[in-house]
Amino acid sequence: MTEKYLYLSLIPQGLISSMLNPHEFGSYYSVGSKAHIRSQAMFFEIDPNFRSDDFPFHLIDERCVPHADGSPRRSVYLSIYQVLRQIPISALKSLYLVTEDGRTLELQQGTYEKHLDNHLRLYQEFCPVTPMVASNYEPKELVKFITDPKQPVHVPRIVFSQLEIGELADDPENGSAEDLPYPAMLHLRDILSSLKRKPEKGSRMFLKQVKHGVFYRMVKGGFYVGDQKDFAFYPFPSLEELESTHRNWWRSAQILSFQ
Amino acid sequence: MTEPLFWIAPIAAIIALVFACLFFIGMTRKDEGTELMQKIGRHIREGAMAYLRQQYRVMALVFGAFTIVFAILAYGLEVQNSWLPVTFVFGGFFSALAGYFGMQTATRASTRTTAAARNSLGEALQVSFRSGAVMGLAVVGLGLGNVTFWFMLADYLIPGEGGQRMVLITTTVLTFGMGASLQALFARVGGGIFTKAADVGADLVGKVEAGIPEDDPRNPATIADNVGDNVGDVAGMGADLFESYCGSILAACALGAAAYIHDPAMQIKAVVAPMVIAGVGILLSILGVYLVKTEEGATQKDLLKSLGRGINASAVMILIASFFVMLLLGVPNPFGLWGAVVAGLVTGLVVGHATEYYTSPSYKPTRYIASQAVGGPATTIIAGFGTGMMSTAIPVLAISIGTLMAFLCASGFDMSQMNQGLYGVSIAAVGMLSTLGITLASDAYGPIADNAGGNAEMSGLEPEVRKRTDALDSLGNTTAATGKGFAIGSAALTALALIASYIEVIRIEMIKSGQTVMDLGHGMSVETSQATLQDFMSHYQITLLNPIVLIAIFIGSMVACVFSGLTVQAVGNAAALMVEEVRRQFSDDPGILKGTSEPDYARCVEISTIGAQKEMILPSLIAASAPILTSIILGVPGVIGLLVGGLATGFMLAVFLSNSGGAWDNAKKYVEEGNHGGKNSSAHRASVIGDTVGDPFKDTAGPSLNILIKLMSIMAIIMAGVSVSFSFF
Repeated sequence: MTEKYLYLSLIPQGLISSMLNPHEFGSYYSVGSKAHIRSQAMFFEIDPNFRSDDFPFHLIDERCVPHADGSPRRSVYLSIYQVLRQIPISALKSLYLVTEDGRTLELQQGTYEKHLDNHLRLYQEFCPVTPMVASNYEPKELVKFITDPKQPVHVPRIVFSQLEIGELADDPENGSAEDLPYPAMLHLRDILSSLKRKPEKGSRMFLKQVKHGVFYRMVKGGFYVGDQKDFAFYPFPSLEELESTHRNWWRSAQILSFQ
Repeated sequence: MTEPLFWIAPIAAIIALVFACLFFIGMTRKDEGTELMQKIGRHIREGAMAYLRQQYRVMALVFGAFTIVFAILAYGLEVQNSWLPVTFVFGGFFSALAGYFGMQTATRASTRTTAAARNSLGEALQVSFRSGAVMGLAVVGLGLGNVTFWFMLADYLIPGEGGQRMVLITTTVLTFGMGASLQALFARVGGGIFTKAADVGADLVGKVEAGIPEDDPRNPATIADNVGDNVGDVAGMGADLFESYCGSILAACALGAAAYIHDPAMQIKAVVAPMVIAGVGILLSILGVYLVKTEEGATQKDLLKSLGRGINASAVMILIASFFVMLLLGVPNPFGLWGAVVAGLVTGLVVGHATEYYTSPSYKPTRYIASQAVGGPATTIIAGFGTGMMSTAIPVLAISIGTLMAFLCASGFDMSQMNQGLYGVSIAAVGMLSTLGITLASDAYGPIADNAGGNAEMSGLEPEVRKRTDALDSLGNTTAATGKGFAIGSAALTALALIASYIEVIRIEMIKSGQTVMDLGHGMSVETSQATLQDFMSHYQITLLNPIVLIAIFIGSMVACVFSGLTVQAVGNAAALMVEEVRRQFSDDPGILKGTSEPDYARCVEISTIGAQKEMILPSLIAASAPILTSIILGVPGVIGLLVGGLATGFMLAVFLSNSGGAWDNAKKYVEEGNHGGKNSSAHRASVIGDTVGDPFKDTAGPSLNILIKLMSIMAIIMAGVSVSFSFF
């Protein structure tokens, strides 16, 4: 019997059953079956044994079957909208990052080591909201803060990554920002400066929406998913590893988007 | 041949060809790498050969038509040198042959360079550089070999005695340049359009639309892009410099014969000197090739130093050797003529380094453009234009000072000695090009290293190998920039020498048509065979107050501008065809982008080839017809004006276009290194747009102008008989 997979898409949110393996699904999901579109994608593979009353899992057996010509069913949507909040972190397997031309990189869960320091940080959130946030919190603290139901603004669960800000992490006013690709650099400096002056502020939104997709070359550490109870860390490969082991993905990931 | 040192020239030409063969055989014996590497190499080689086949088909038609016209003019109307129909075909054939050897070598060498890079950087450098030397040595060997062959044949067949005979011999041999010039037009203009149509087409659909990286085998245009590197920088550059090399030697011989027309003993020495200097240059260039080597772990600086060691050592050795050549030959004013050689060599170095200064990311101008990218595409374009325009200053001043110094040295600092002075200018051009064997090796090395990098990328070789090929590629970018400067500088000096020799051809044609006495006005006259250059100026009223001269200067400038505009637009048109084809392939076969099926690479090569051949028709017609029509309508003063206007504007435009394009390209690379926001930033986007705008500037329009300024001069020389016999004015 052909294997069936369950994927949680983050951009946009959706729970999808597919007969394609993660790499094939990434390619399909990014460029379509006829390769007439292009888009970045990010999804988790979900434990195939995961079941909950929140989703119509019976559709997997009913609809996720080969086409009449024998070709595998590429996608059966089980749900869209507010999917992340309904899937526990324990059900998440690998995270897959897909470039605009359909190359897929698998990230496996790793051990998170907390770095308590006074550096300023920048985060790019991917799901369920997509702003860029400057913060004094380290990743785990940020998860606690942003998923705290006592806060007036909160989300039930969040996926994000930390981005490199170079010298601005310590000296937002005068630090060199030569190699930083972010728009509105003066605004970023202002926000980081205010966080430095008032550490109690915790976090401040830098950009409401990021138009340029994921800044892969700036990812620092890796990707995080968490809520009030659970937390998972997906370490991003080192530059050396990207250059050697994941060369094709890495080259595609750095392509400049004019869209 | 009464001058024994002459034999250095043909012997050196043969030695050059022997070493070219040895380097070629040595390269073919190297490991070709894995099956995939060989397959990629095969695709590029087949594409390059398909391009050449198509180009040669069109060339055969055009050469056939021209030969018929020249035959009618020579044997029917008798207003043309009777050797022209034959020398014309040979000139074209040998220039094409040099390009063919170069392409065969380069397309074989890139795979072997990649394979060698798996072992060491030094080995890869040796394979790629010595393969580049095949092109360099083939060009100088075939060029000097032909010049000496035709000279010996003309010396044997043309009867008579005295100084006038040698003028006739040298101006007859000058016709060899016409074929080389027309072939260069095809190789440079057609090649330039091909390479950028493929490059821009590949980038627009590949990177911008489909989001796939450069040199990705899924891009149908990627092979055409790699083929284009060879077509432009091997065949195109080779034909361009073959023309300059032959043109400068031929013009120097003709001017030498004219300068010492009254002293046959000195005349033969003056005629032989440029050929001997070129011969010595070949031998020392070969020596220089052996000095280019490096060790494992070499930095970019070490690689550049290694290449510089070969080129600079050759230049210094030529400087010393040419001094002794002058003394041994016993030419009149040996120190002065040696000074002219020095002026040429130094001018070449200054122009090359100025190009590097304005286009390298290590210096201020390119970094300034990169800094302007922060403001967006518009400021990037403005900065590039400004920098390109300012970059004309050093090369123009260098050529001006070099020309003046060569003139003064050769004329004994006596401005009235026009013939000797102009001979010195042509000797300067020969001096500049005397290192061509090795400088062209470093140019042809560029696309080999570039293709080697592409092959390593497409073959998915390990990072260490890619690091080595990247280092070689980066070095190739630097040599390509300086090579372009060298080609432009030598083209300007060669064109200047050709313009000077134009008057000598007019003299011969006047005598041939029975105008043995020249009216100088005010009731004065002089025998045409004895007339000085000033007499010709008086007879034809070649002064700035003559409206015909002024009009023609304007027309010459206009031709250069229109020609550039057409070649730039040609890239856009040919690239559009490529874009359409790549889109079609992606659309028809989704498996291409998914990597499950192979694109039709050959179709993209074919599209670009046809596009290039079609698009080069109009600029070529303008380049060829402007001197013909001017010869017929405006006569000799008009031709002089046309050539001066074309040279002044063409040289300026060539420097501007090449340097602005190079600077935009490297400004993008500077941003990609992590400056001004690095990759993915808005500055990066702006710099990519600047680079795309600059692509047809630096690799099509700029280099094509080298050909225009030389082709117009040689065409004017060829049409001298028509001008003398039929012109309206």
